[in-house]
Amino acid sequence: MAHATSIQYEPVAEIGGGAYGTVYKARDTESGQFVALKSVRVQTDQNGLPVSTVREVALLRRLEQFDHPNVVRLMDVCATKRSDQETKVTLVFEHVDQDLKTYLERAPAPGLSPERIKDLMKQLLCGLAFLHTNRVMHRDLKPENILVTSQGQVKLADFGLARIYSCHMALTPVVVTLWYRPPEVLLQSSYATPVDIWSTGCIFAEMFRRKPLFCGDSEVDQLGKIFDVVGLPPEEEWPTDVTLSRKNFPPLLPRPITDVVPEINGQGAQLLQKMLTFDPLKRISALNALEHPYFQDEETLTQTKS
Amino acid sequence: MPLEDDLTTAAANGDTARVESLLQTGAQVNGLNRFGRTAVQVMMMGSSSVAQVLLKHGADPNVADPRTGSTPLHDAARTGFLDTVRLLVEYTADPEATDNTNCRPVDVAKDNGHADVVAFLESL
Repeated sequence: MAHATSIQYEPVAEIGGGAYGTVYKARDTESGQFVALKSVRVQTDQNGLPVSTVREVALLRRLEQFDHPNVVRLMDVCATKRSDQETKVTLVFEHVDQDLKTYLERAPAPGLSPERIKDLMKQLLCGLAFLHTNRVMHRDLKPENILVTSQGQVKLADFGLARIYSCHMALTPVVVTLWYRPPEVLLQSSYATPVDIWSTGCIFAEMFRRKPLFCGDSEVDQLGKIFDVVGLPPEEEWPTDVTLSRKNFPPLLPRPITDVVPEINGQGAQLLQKMLTFDPLKRISALNALEHPYFQDEETLTQTKS
Repeated sequence: MPLEDDLTTAAANGDTARVESLLQTGAQVNGLNRFGRTAVQVMMMGSSSVAQVLLKHGADPNVADPRTGSTPLHDAARTGFLDTVRLLVEYTADPEATDNTNCRPVDVAKDNGHADVVAFLESL
């Protein structure tokens, strides 16, 4: 790890704060480019950095060797000793000056073309499949951390940090959006890669709607809004280890997804439904989603038929 | 100057609504944040709506980075966002400004392969 962050990377603005530390937009004074600095303070003992931190950082560096086009580059990792008990670990990531939120807002009415949406979704799922294959979960996918370059290239940001942070989470309450959270997280039941597919489904719908799909203002409200569309799941699918009872929700039947995303085509609606599946074990995976007929162009479909 | 710090954060995050409301509540459009930068210097370059609001409120588009000499036009050209490049030029950003490596915005756009930005800047 290098020890010269402050010289090469000069912060120019704070772009995020969280339970885990602060995120800065900074300038790499050598290349002139903007970068994102994400720092986390970790407690150290006589053995130095905790094994968990070293392991997570090593995993991120290993991912970096694949140079995947749909995840942001990890350019550098720096450790600064603050005291005998505390070290600041700074991850230096590529900074892309546009996120999906801005990209969607910029699109003139009536919004993005179906082809553009398909291309964005394909790139998003490629990035996600790559992370999941390497056993990295994102856990907090939302339009703000899906970046889009001026050339239309999608790059996922903020992945793999959740675990680093959760080991050293300060007890400061932070406001995080609930809108892209899957039922199993809202119910505090399980956390695995299907979590990211649910969020991707919400974002897929949002690309057509140009407004978020489920805008809850509390966990229960968020679940209510979800069941309003996907229906109340059957008793046998309700996780057994959770405090919130299924009886708290009205017995709603699923509505056709096209009620809430009228612009989507048939194949798209079918894929979206597979992503917005209540049971995480039955939810489609990123790799299988990429194989879905929605992504086969008309030509390929005709060829297979003939 | 907490308001200016909030303003640069909102600009860097592409949050147009927040930028507008901060300007209305008295944040100085050319005020420096605690890192010595103005909002237009650190804004999300892909957000032409943030650029528009800041420039309309009198943001100076010719303020250079104290370390590298980059102007907002250099940065918009480097990242390839043509809408923002056009806006900056419309609001009198100097296309001939040079950074500390003696590069103009068009040179930076060329280095980064943004043909549309190069074509626009060469047409001026």
